[in-house]
Amino acid sequence: MKVEGEHLFKAPREVVYEMFNDPDALGAAVPGMQKMIKLDESHYEAVLGIRVGPVSANFSGNLSLTDEVPPESVTLVIEGKGGAGFVKGVGYVKFEDLGDETTLLKYTGEANIGGTLASVGQRMIDSVAKSMFKTVFEKLDKILEERWQKN
Amino acid sequence: MTGKYFGNPIKRLEDKQLLTGNAKYIDDIEVPGQLHAAFLRSDFAHARILKIDVSEALKRPGVVAVYTAEDFGDFWKPGPLQVPPPTAIPGSKFNARTLVPIAKDKIRYSGEVLAVVIAESRYIAEDAFDDIIVDVESLPAVVDLEKAWEDSSVLVHDDLPSNMAALVTQEVGNYEEAKKKADVVVARRMLIEHVAGAAMENRGFLASWDDQNQVMTIWANTQSPLTVRGSVSRALGLAESQVHVITPAIGGGFGPKVMTSLTDDVLLPWISKQLKRPIKWVEDRRENFLATTSERDQVHHCEIALKKDGTILGFKDVFYHNTGAYDSYGMTVPLNTQTHIISNYRVPNFYTQIRMVFTNQMVVTPVRGAGRSEGVFAMERMLDFAAKEMGLSPIEIRRKNLLRADELPLATGITGQDFVKNTLDSGDYLGNFEKCLQAIEYDKFIKETQPKAQKEGKRLGIGVVAFTEGTAVGPYEGCKVTVSTSGKVTMTTGYSSQGQAHYTVFAQIIADQLNVKVEDVKVITGDTNHFAWGAGTFASRGATLVGTAALLASQKVRAKIFSTASKALGVPEDQVELGEGSVSIKGKPDSAIPLGTLAAMANPMRGVIEPGVEPGLEATAYYGPPHGSTGCGAMGVILSIDEETCKPVLEKMVIVDDCGTMINPLIVDGQLQGGISMGIGNTLYERLVYDENGQLLTASFMDYLMPLATDMPKKLEIIHNHAESSLKLNPLGIKGVGEAGAIPPGPAIVQAIEDAFADKGVEILETNLSPSSIYGYLKKVEHK
Repeated sequence: MKVEGEHLFKAPREVVYEMFNDPDALGAAVPGMQKMIKLDESHYEAVLGIRVGPVSANFSGNLSLTDEVPPESVTLVIEGKGGAGFVKGVGYVKFEDLGDETTLLKYTGEANIGGTLASVGQRMIDSVAKSMFKTVFEKLDKILEERWQKN
Repeated sequence: MTGKYFGNPIKRLEDKQLLTGNAKYIDDIEVPGQLHAAFLRSDFAHARILKIDVSEALKRPGVVAVYTAEDFGDFWKPGPLQVPPPTAIPGSKFNARTLVPIAKDKIRYSGEVLAVVIAESRYIAEDAFDDIIVDVESLPAVVDLEKAWEDSSVLVHDDLPSNMAALVTQEVGNYEEAKKKADVVVARRMLIEHVAGAAMENRGFLASWDDQNQVMTIWANTQSPLTVRGSVSRALGLAESQVHVITPAIGGGFGPKVMTSLTDDVLLPWISKQLKRPIKWVEDRRENFLATTSERDQVHHCEIALKKDGTILGFKDVFYHNTGAYDSYGMTVPLNTQTHIISNYRVPNFYTQIRMVFTNQMVVTPVRGAGRSEGVFAMERMLDFAAKEMGLSPIEIRRKNLLRADELPLATGITGQDFVKNTLDSGDYLGNFEKCLQAIEYDKFIKETQPKAQKEGKRLGIGVVAFTEGTAVGPYEGCKVTVSTSGKVTMTTGYSSQGQAHYTVFAQIIADQLNVKVEDVKVITGDTNHFAWGAGTFASRGATLVGTAALLASQKVRAKIFSTASKALGVPEDQVELGEGSVSIKGKPDSAIPLGTLAAMANPMRGVIEPGVEPGLEATAYYGPPHGSTGCGAMGVILSIDEETCKPVLEKMVIVDDCGTMINPLIVDGQLQGGISMGIGNTLYERLVYDENGQLLTASFMDYLMPLATDMPKKLEIIHNHAESSLKLNPLGIKGVGEAGAIPPGPAIVQAIEDAFADKGVEILETNLSPSSIYGYLKKVEHK
């Protein structure tokens, strides 16, 4: 499965980038996130509940941030597995400073999905992924609003 | 030949039980004390197993045992070859890598079993999956057939130099020489998509070890109970008499249920013996899609060489055949393809090569049509492409090359799935085709119907193809016919039933021979304690092989009735009259002895019997034909298609079929209708899709579309065209018909879709067409 998209954040690039390194912010933004623990500066452990059509299951796995070029770009590597299969993915995220205290986030990525999630859920995965991204960005917007405006 | 019952369209005797919900299927069977098995299956298609930790699962309340490959010790071993390698074909290469009952060290397809959980209920067993930790190192998956064949490919079996499962080349004449003389040579690459058997009932298995009597009783919805009995007794070191296999009512077979040496039939009897408890497993639909065998999936590289007038000089077909991760079922499917490519037409020079390849996919074994549909598709399509290239009509090119009745029997020189040189034995191929053209009103369609529709802005298309159906292969089947003292008759056979109306058609044959009511003949199938010889239900062979055995056995019983009656009535045999359910002296109805009484007389309790006389009105007979018999026919279809939605609607379909003598025309028509529905599904709806990582993306009926009743043609005409030569093939003149309907819809529908878009020059090179793929073909030509 390939993913691609962009989102406009109403905050300067540094602030947005920082938020992406904050497990509390990410953990709160991802729907179904049950646990997110920072292992070190660039490694996280997470438990995530996913529901795709008839398939609903918990996935546990690791999230690593690599090739970090603050505040411009970062690569996310995800590996998770659970009762309903496995997900392995790489996401490339870029933060573009638009100069007016807004930041355009652009992402592309590829995920390898296996097990029940693929064999029964694949038809819905694209739309579930899209809706997840939408929710994540909406939540991050709110977090950002609080943090940025408070400052 | 028509009798009181034989040849008549009587209703199926088994239907009352089935339709009133009184049939007992595998999941209805409960044995006191039974435990339930669930199989933990691999999410990965190709991986090395590092560790499987089941310790937490064992702690779950209700879990009785959990097994991984290591727990089976020496009992774990690759299974037998269910079909032997094609050594009958000179130069053939075959690498046997047979199914393992549970993955050890390496996982070779997504859905392969990693652990067996035995628990008090299926719910508990499946819940325990969450407690099992599976640690694997994933490997790149082998999915694409042509890439898999290359030396550079990742290997499915590390101990082989390549993914070659088999290489079989057959040639008659000399294709390359013929090509030199040809005016036209057309070459194409075509895909035959992967489809499931998709029986309404999934697989199931119940093993119950009786430790006191040392007997293993097995209920299984298998097409080959005797193979199961043989393999279980061998594996457990038991005499065959200690293994009793019973097939309950079965909700459809369609081929995949012939496969044995799977996790259930290998491991569950062993576990039942260990735990001394009955163990039941019933497959769910996702498991069926992932791990029960399926079929088709070939890539054909075809070449046809012709003279200017359309006469075929030669045909070449090098095709890749996906066998999946293992090849326990040998080469039945691709060998069927080889024989069927040239099974309708005069092809003096034919070169064919099978490249059977291992992939990280489920194992491929026959599904209704079984390689025949692929061969017929390849030839029919190539004729269409050649006709277009040469400006001939698809009808003209077929008429020119179809075998005439007087050219049969014809030995094609190609060895088939039965390892016997193929003989096109009987029928009138050209006659079938002409009858089909008439019934579909081909000329009227071309001259009037199609142009008229065009003016109204509607797209109509027509397709007409020929087909054969290799059926009724050996080696043999048999049965026993017994008249009981009540006068009722029992027939037992090792052949198992999955809905084919065996309980009716065999009874029809016997009832006429013994002059009893058809309802008084009870047919018992697929119970190894009743009858223990035979090969299994496959290749449309039941009516011919078991049917003929039923005739021969009941003829023997009939002879015994006359000899016994002659003594009882004190008259010569020619003075004995066999009335309905009784015997009497001709012209003396008062002398009548009921058949049941005669049966008792044939089993005297005192006195002596003459040497050589066997007790009872009972006889056993076997029948094995010298070679299979070839059903044949033609199919025509008219469809309409909307250019925007690309949804084809089948307006009219005609099938002309020659299956020889019909025991029961109603049942023959039912077989043809069912087959057609399957052929339509294969062409327009069904498709198993694997992604590049070997993940099956269509493991539910949400994504794997089945044809509905409403997808049948608006008008369907069935024409039986039974040639004289067909009727002489065997004692009853029967050819099989179980797969006929499934074979021709693919090439007929595709030809019609191309015809509907003839102005655009659409050329279709695959079997499976969803509206979106038809739309894709349209866009492709528009962008040219």
